[in-house]
Amino acid sequence: MGIGLFGVLTRRNIIGILMSIELMFNAVNINLVAFNRYLYPDQVIGQTVALFLITLAAAEAVVGLALVLAIYKNLNTVYTENFDLLKG
Amino acid sequence: MLECIVFYGLAAAVLGSALGVVILRNVLHSALFLGLALACTGGIFALCGSDFLFVSQILVYVGGIALLILFVVLLSGRSKDLQSRQINDQWLAALVVAGTTVALLYRSLSVFSNAFARTEPAAATLPIGRLLLTDYLVPFELVSLLLLAALMGAVWFTRSKT
Repeated sequence: MGIGLFGVLTRRNIIGILMSIELMFNAVNINLVAFNRYLYPDQVIGQTVALFLITLAAAEAVVGLALVLAIYKNLNTVYTENFDLLKG
Repeated sequence: MLECIVFYGLAAAVLGSALGVVILRNVLHSALFLGLALACTGGIFALCGSDFLFVSQILVYVGGIALLILFVVLLSGRSKDLQSRQINDQWLAALVVAGTTVALLYRSLSVFSNAFARTEPAAATLPIGRLLLTDYLVPFELVSLLLLAALMGAVWFTRSKT
């Protein structure tokens, strides 16, 4: 989770930021499954919520990558300091 | 004993690949290390006894998301990008923020470290399916609606303006 947070805050490439967000999703999933396994071993609610999170992360990655492709088509760059369409 | 060896090996692989994702200059190498991190996370799921989650992690994350990221990296890269610096100027503040978050998470989660149940995990596919179709039917249908919306959004954003 900490490594993903560091990556989101420091990567210049927008795809690098998306990859770090996926790392944070995975950290949360590991946490959920571990809590399910060690504290409530007769229930599967942690794994079900982790399954929902996998699906949500997939949907978010799809939309994010479509946005990245649209930005690249217009601005011809993937570095966040060059995204200047909203700068005054 | 074997479980400890496997867990520490997989955990080291996940942490090493995650560091490779956020530090390397070559974006293609970062994407490949992301695939490795996701596969090793699936291994940790299998170690916790969640067989269905392990399989769906490999199928969806490694076979879907990591592949998609690889496609976008290959479609939008230039050869001079492979050696340019990928960490921006706020890395020290980011290190402080990330370190504080990890320390706080460790403090808040280590309260539970003496309540472990030492039982063997059961196969989880049937109970997950039963939960999805009885108690969690509404979130199940809503997630399928969300996937439809995400698909339509992706198609809309990448259409050509003809």
